[in-house]
Amino acid sequence: MIDYLTITVVLLAGAGLFLPLLQVFRMGKRNLAGYILALVLATALALIGLFTFYPSSVPWAGSLIIPDQLGGVFALVTVGVTLAVAVASFDFQKSTSNPVYYGLLAFTALGMVLLAYSQDLLMLFVSWELMSLPTYVLAGFDKKLRSNEASVKYAIIGAMSSAVILYAISLAYGLTGSTQISAVVAGFASHPSALAGVATLLFVAGFGFKMSIVPFHMWIPDAYEGAPTTISTLLAAATKKAGFIAAIRVLLAITTLYAVTKSPLFTMANVFAVLALLTMTVGNISALTQKSMTRLLAYSSIAQAGYILIGFVAFSNAPGTSAATLGLTGSVFHVINHAVMKGAAFLAAALVLLQLKRADLGAYDGLGKRMPITAFTLAVAFLGLAGVPPLSGFWSKLILVLSVANGPFGWLALAAILNSAFSLGYYAWIIKRMYIDEGESTARVKEPLWFVLIFAIMVGLIVGIGLFPQQVINLVSNAVTGYTG
Amino acid sequence: MSYVLSLLIALPLVAAPFVYLATRGDKRLGVYLSLGLSVVVMLIAGYVFWQVYSSPPPGGQYLLQEKYSWISFSSFGLNYFLGTDGLSSPLIFVSALLTVLVIIGSRKLIDHHEAEYYSLIFLFEGAIMGVFTSLNLILFYIFWEIVLIPMFFFIGVWGGPRRKYAAMKFIIFTFAGSTIMLLGFLYFYMGMPSPSFDIPTIQALLQTHQIPVGLEYLPLLASFIGFAVKLPLVPFHTWLPDAHVEAPSPISVLLAGVLLKMGGYGFIRISIGLFPGASAQYAWIFLALGLFSMFYGAVAALLQKDLKKMIAFTSINHMGFVLFGAYATLISGSVLGIEGAIFQMFTHALAVGSLFMLSGYIQHQAGTREIPLLKGLGTTMPRTAVILVLGAAAAMGLPPFSSFLAEFMVIVAGISASAYAAISVLVPVITAGYFLWMIKRTVLSQAEAGHEVHDMGWSDVAAFAVYLVPLIVLIVTSYLILTPALPVAQFLRGLP
Repeated sequence: MIDYLTITVVLLAGAGLFLPLLQVFRMGKRNLAGYILALVLATALALIGLFTFYPSSVPWAGSLIIPDQLGGVFALVTVGVTLAVAVASFDFQKSTSNPVYYGLLAFTALGMVLLAYSQDLLMLFVSWELMSLPTYVLAGFDKKLRSNEASVKYAIIGAMSSAVILYAISLAYGLTGSTQISAVVAGFASHPSALAGVATLLFVAGFGFKMSIVPFHMWIPDAYEGAPTTISTLLAAATKKAGFIAAIRVLLAITTLYAVTKSPLFTMANVFAVLALLTMTVGNISALTQKSMTRLLAYSSIAQAGYILIGFVAFSNAPGTSAATLGLTGSVFHVINHAVMKGAAFLAAALVLLQLKRADLGAYDGLGKRMPITAFTLAVAFLGLAGVPPLSGFWSKLILVLSVANGPFGWLALAAILNSAFSLGYYAWIIKRMYIDEGESTARVKEPLWFVLIFAIMVGLIVGIGLFPQQVINLVSNAVTGYTG
Repeated sequence: MSYVLSLLIALPLVAAPFVYLATRGDKRLGVYLSLGLSVVVMLIAGYVFWQVYSSPPPGGQYLLQEKYSWISFSSFGLNYFLGTDGLSSPLIFVSALLTVLVIIGSRKLIDHHEAEYYSLIFLFEGAIMGVFTSLNLILFYIFWEIVLIPMFFFIGVWGGPRRKYAAMKFIIFTFAGSTIMLLGFLYFYMGMPSPSFDIPTIQALLQTHQIPVGLEYLPLLASFIGFAVKLPLVPFHTWLPDAHVEAPSPISVLLAGVLLKMGGYGFIRISIGLFPGASAQYAWIFLALGLFSMFYGAVAALLQKDLKKMIAFTSINHMGFVLFGAYATLISGSVLGIEGAIFQMFTHALAVGSLFMLSGYIQHQAGTREIPLLKGLGTTMPRTAVILVLGAAAAMGLPPFSSFLAEFMVIVAGISASAYAAISVLVPVITAGYFLWMIKRTVLSQAEAGHEVHDMGWSDVAAFAVYLVPLIVLIVTSYLILTPALPVAQFLRGLP
């Protein structure tokens, strides 16, 4: 039995450690480090893919990490996005071609993979930091004032969220004497206390920063706007998803056994529902008024986090029912779709910034003529994000809304639907600018081959999953049933 | 298992990119390819229509069914499920026919971005066929939404001066309406004892009283919003005049002739067909709303100076008849209401289609659509004037045009529902009034000297004959539509 996961971890760690050495030996020219990292990530993707589709139940490193299918799905998504980011960086980071950049990317990927499989709070925290620390540096990689500001802001907020998580872990350990997630949950259930409730809510806040849940979202637009756009892609489409797997592993596990408070009003389902409503609404309304593309995408990303939370509501409202399974399936499915769609949109924005040197929305006037492939990718991604059928985003939103459509949280379903319709206001607005408005010029702008390749794969995924969702749904559904038991 | 309906949907969808490439290469080639393809689709649609006519399926059953499992996991199941009956087959045929006529009419009226234009027409046609043949609610919704995308670009790219505003207003209005409709479907699905999205399965559950009427109220309200925006019903109609005024004339034909039918079809197939208990309880409200729409559309049309805007309000007036007739059947039990509504949708598509296309020609030749500025068409453009008079006669329901029969049936059903509904007789009077006034001002007025305008050629006259001749033929051969429509009406009337 070959242990795919060990190979993956060794490969990624090796890449992280040795790629920066290329700089030392002055071999960092011509994107060599980038090509190596892309190869490593592609291998890792294939290995995790094998592992996810043909799971083995060999426990790995004792009880710190248990490779299950749910973790596999998240590892696939995050490594896939990192691969796309690495490939896009061939052109985007050409001027500052830097092996350190790719080394840091490798460490982030490693952190996300480990986080996806973590079954222990300490392992989870260590992976969390392994994932986060390199991104603080990467966000400031441009050596411009804006980029550095973004980096500092992100690092301070990130450190704060780490502190909150660590405090929650310490409370959990103090109450239950274990850092094993299953033991913590069982301990909370057998000895309910107010402190357990506090710890749970601290987890919500700590993970909420990464998941970009309102009111923990303030850093998102500034960081996404200031960071190099490829890194914004990584933050929005990959590390954010890592926040969701952490929340599923810890928070949803707690809600299956333990009603956090005795009050019928202050239940976890209600907490999630209010957060989901706030997140969707604030995200969409703010997105409508943005003047720069990266900020618009940042707010749209916040709004999408709100949709993903709907599944959490359905799950914690009635764990063990079919609606709960439906909800969690919808959440995980939307995580996958959102990673692809938001990744495509951010990379399209990155290419526009690279070629036109502009990030304001005016740069998108008449883009359909100037950069037809980029504009088409952006249009498909936007329609998918708005939930227009038959694109992939439609199905995951459908399942999410379905999970709460008939029950005490019907109002949340209505809010999600109205938010979707409302969000088309800015998505269609950009599509209108690209295809209907006249641009300042109609001359074709070069679209590099690597970007075109990524765009083709991502559009293929958005449309392909949209038309034939059964395979992906099967995978997600199996992963979710494997997790809930 | 038959593949005809899938072919009807897939052929235009698959053809769209090829049409794009062909038209980019050579414009003439593209137009001829489009024309040929649309004629093929029309022949298939004609075959479907004939199949349904020659062996009308009994109520609640569907011809040419296709059913495959599309998605299924845990408690969720979704089928790719198509079928047709006496309600959808006339609409399928008239949509395919109008697509051919629109392509013929577009040759002169569309002069930029032709490649995108013709490929989007096929995207639109394929989606429309999907809407009318889907027997699964989610599949129905998917096609319903795909229709929006080509329409958005039609209005936004080829429209008039305020096209961008109109396109945004159109897409946000209709998308909001249809997502609410989807939520209604999902609520209904989750509440059912054995959940299914398949229309025949749900109707079987209804007949065995397994769905409590309490479950039907919210979905009825939600679907009402979705369909009322499309129909459009006053006060959900404000996107329509904007969209029509800005859309190019061939697209107005599709908008009025095909897109609005989606609303009427939805009301009959889904609001009445799936939520019959709740529909019957609130039938009075729907009846009143339909009546109000009829009057509002007619009076608003009277006030318009823009010929095209006037025709747009005529559509609101005519589609009010559809809702009025459909719900009159629920109250009175007279099958004439639903039969008349189906017939009305068919005749309205052709009559108003011809008028919209005509308004495009008039603007193209005379340079304006303002009724007060169009003077002496009778002498300057005699052939156009004749077609305008005939089209107006068809739209106002003057015999021998079969629109007369359709409106007559609807009004009879209305009167049998309530004596007060007899007030609906006044609507055709107002309609006749504004059309005749329009004709008096344009056709019968004195021409102003110094205006050199070209009349339409005989080939265009022939194209317009395709709109109007079926309307005359159908008053004699109305059984073509009414025979298959009868079991549908009887079935819907009998649902508990």
